[in-house]
Amino acid sequence: MQPILKVNLTTGETSEYVIPVELERDYLGGASLAARLLYPVLTRDLDPVSPESPILFLNGPLSGTAGPAVGRFVVCGKSPATGLWAESNCGGFWGPELRFCGYDGLWINGKADRPVYLWLNNRKLEVRDAAAVWGKDMYESQSIIKSEIGLPGAHVLTIGPAGENGVLFAGLYCDHGRAAGRTGLGAVAGSKNLKAIAVKGTQKIPIARPELFAPLRSASNHFLKEDTVTQVAHELGTAGVADYADYLGGTPKKYFHQGFFEGVDKVSGSTMAETILVGVSACHACVIACGRVVRLEDGEKRKGPEYETIVGFGPNLLNDDLAAIVRLGEVCDRYGMDVISASNTIGLAYHLYENGVITEKDTGFPLRWGDVTGAERLLHLMARREGIGNFMADGSRRFAAHFGAEEEAVQVNGLEVAYHDPRGVSGMALVYATSPRGACHNKSDYFLVDWGQAETSLGLKFFERHAGAEKAANVARHQDWRSACDSLVLCLFANVPAEMVAGLVNAACGYDCSVDDLLRCGERGWNLKRAINNRMGLTRGNDKLPKALLEPLADGPVAGFAPDLESMLLAYYSARGWDPVTGRPTREKLCALGLEDVAKDLWG
Amino acid sequence: MAIIFPSPEWLQSLFDKLNSDERYAQIARNWEGDMCVVIEPSGPLTEQHIYYLDLWHGKCRKTETLKDLFSVKSKFVLTATYENISHIMKGELDPMQAMMTRKLQVHGSMAYMMRNVPTVLDFVRCCREVTTEIL
Repeated sequence: MQPILKVNLTTGETSEYVIPVELERDYLGGASLAARLLYPVLTRDLDPVSPESPILFLNGPLSGTAGPAVGRFVVCGKSPATGLWAESNCGGFWGPELRFCGYDGLWINGKADRPVYLWLNNRKLEVRDAAAVWGKDMYESQSIIKSEIGLPGAHVLTIGPAGENGVLFAGLYCDHGRAAGRTGLGAVAGSKNLKAIAVKGTQKIPIARPELFAPLRSASNHFLKEDTVTQVAHELGTAGVADYADYLGGTPKKYFHQGFFEGVDKVSGSTMAETILVGVSACHACVIACGRVVRLEDGEKRKGPEYETIVGFGPNLLNDDLAAIVRLGEVCDRYGMDVISASNTIGLAYHLYENGVITEKDTGFPLRWGDVTGAERLLHLMARREGIGNFMADGSRRFAAHFGAEEEAVQVNGLEVAYHDPRGVSGMALVYATSPRGACHNKSDYFLVDWGQAETSLGLKFFERHAGAEKAANVARHQDWRSACDSLVLCLFANVPAEMVAGLVNAACGYDCSVDDLLRCGERGWNLKRAINNRMGLTRGNDKLPKALLEPLADGPVAGFAPDLESMLLAYYSARGWDPVTGRPTREKLCALGLEDVAKDLWG
Repeated sequence: MAIIFPSPEWLQSLFDKLNSDERYAQIARNWEGDMCVVIEPSGPLTEQHIYYLDLWHGKCRKTETLKDLFSVKSKFVLTATYENISHIMKGELDPMQAMMTRKLQVHGSMAYMMRNVPTVLDFVRCCREVTTEIL
């Protein structure tokens, strides 16, 4: 891999960090490598918004090549929302452009004495004054910085006002609303007075065996283009699965408290395609192009919503107005707030309002299911930390706790649950309870496996959607694969055979690794992140689900079912080689993965 | 009498089933669209088979064995190898699993397909129920 550029914003010093070859091989890149590099500094005492708190942007060995769906980078650190491992990856063109600069990562520490943005032109770094963009929204900031730079082809990653104001679910955004939304790393950047990072490079990405890589990446892209899942994502966007998810009872409604909502059909990816869709957008070199471009009544073309936005501002609030969902998603993007956490926390506000826990005295206006005018006002209040929004900006767990109702928040370890209900797809119960970053649907998109994407080449089996402990080992294996994908920073929608991915890695890096080797790397990364969280205070008791997800729904396609999390967890710990009492990876497991130093730290 | 898949008798049997099955009639009552099922040769099947089915409001209006896909422009084309489609017919492979793991290719309006997955799944049930023997 290429070096990582280290930048200290306090002193202005920079240096190059050359990644040891053995770390490249053992961790591949991306999130797992970030976990290895940050392991020494991610301690329980580290304040995530202090100058000492690192923020590490990393690519993978395929990033920026012409391989299948490899336009993503990852950003990692300590989450101000959860106090645990923070990780969020993002598409667009920024990550590849960073590689074109000759760096595979940016490792930022310190705090600037005034708002700044970084401008990396190939290997030349400038720290520039950001006074002109501080306070500006995400799209405005990108536009102004691009104009200041004046160099065509530059890409800008920026925070919005939410990151500046320390909203704990603020993200980082590039290109046409591509987001590293989860775990609040936008607030970490904001705490460093770091508004944005612009990059433009002209260098070639190193490929170890180009003669092997070229035909393989061509074949894999053709393969991907013909795939039916790709065609769904291309034609309908990620919300293309909304109809099917609802049919199987996987779409949350009324803040996870209702199983049926008549208006679901009006806000699906299919409906969007047949009404307001006017184009698509793609990340670097991607044949899927899942991004949506829509036109509303004002005639302006704008980013269309993906699945999580549609459900979060749609059925979650009993709203069936697709145009309103588009606008609420845009408000989030402009402020630089994660749509899942923002819409989930708003759903909680509606829920607490309905149950009299909060009243109009707290909000200043009524909150009625199906009426999203209140939701839009709450978004503004959250981003500006005004009124009740000041509490909501700390995320659903702290917001609910402030009003004495913590158990009502649908979150795990401080990260709001995404919109794949484990009562519809039981594998998500384990995924949410054990994800290294809280209730995340991407560290394993196991809902797809529960629907049928059980890749036999990965050793995955197909279990009934409501199966229990018997699918625990399957979930762990899928997490290992996705952990490997997060190391490669491979888009989860790249539905190509695992053997093809291994072939691309081998050609790019000069390795000779098998799918099992990739799974092993994934398992190593997963256990390392677990150990980081253990050191930061995570215990067996943190592996849990919120009350709402353990209670059966009264109506809808999965009425009467709730996952038996406890039995699933016991089977999961056994499959993982984790201690069922403490929830920690055992010494034997850590040593078997080559993590002897971590075993010593955890077990003495 | 054993109805071997694939064969003209199997196609006729499916036609009869789709026009007599009450559950299919109910679930597919809003379906409007014809489809071609392309069975690519593999294993004991040495030639490509193409079946055309005109499906309309819970009934099957017409079936036909085609020589190629040029003679008709159907709303959907479903393609799988004989081996994979046999697994589906025998109930060993879930049709959604087949689609999501690249064992069954679907071409046509994805918006219409995703809205009508229950109809597609019930169509597969009917296919399975008329299949008593695989080639």
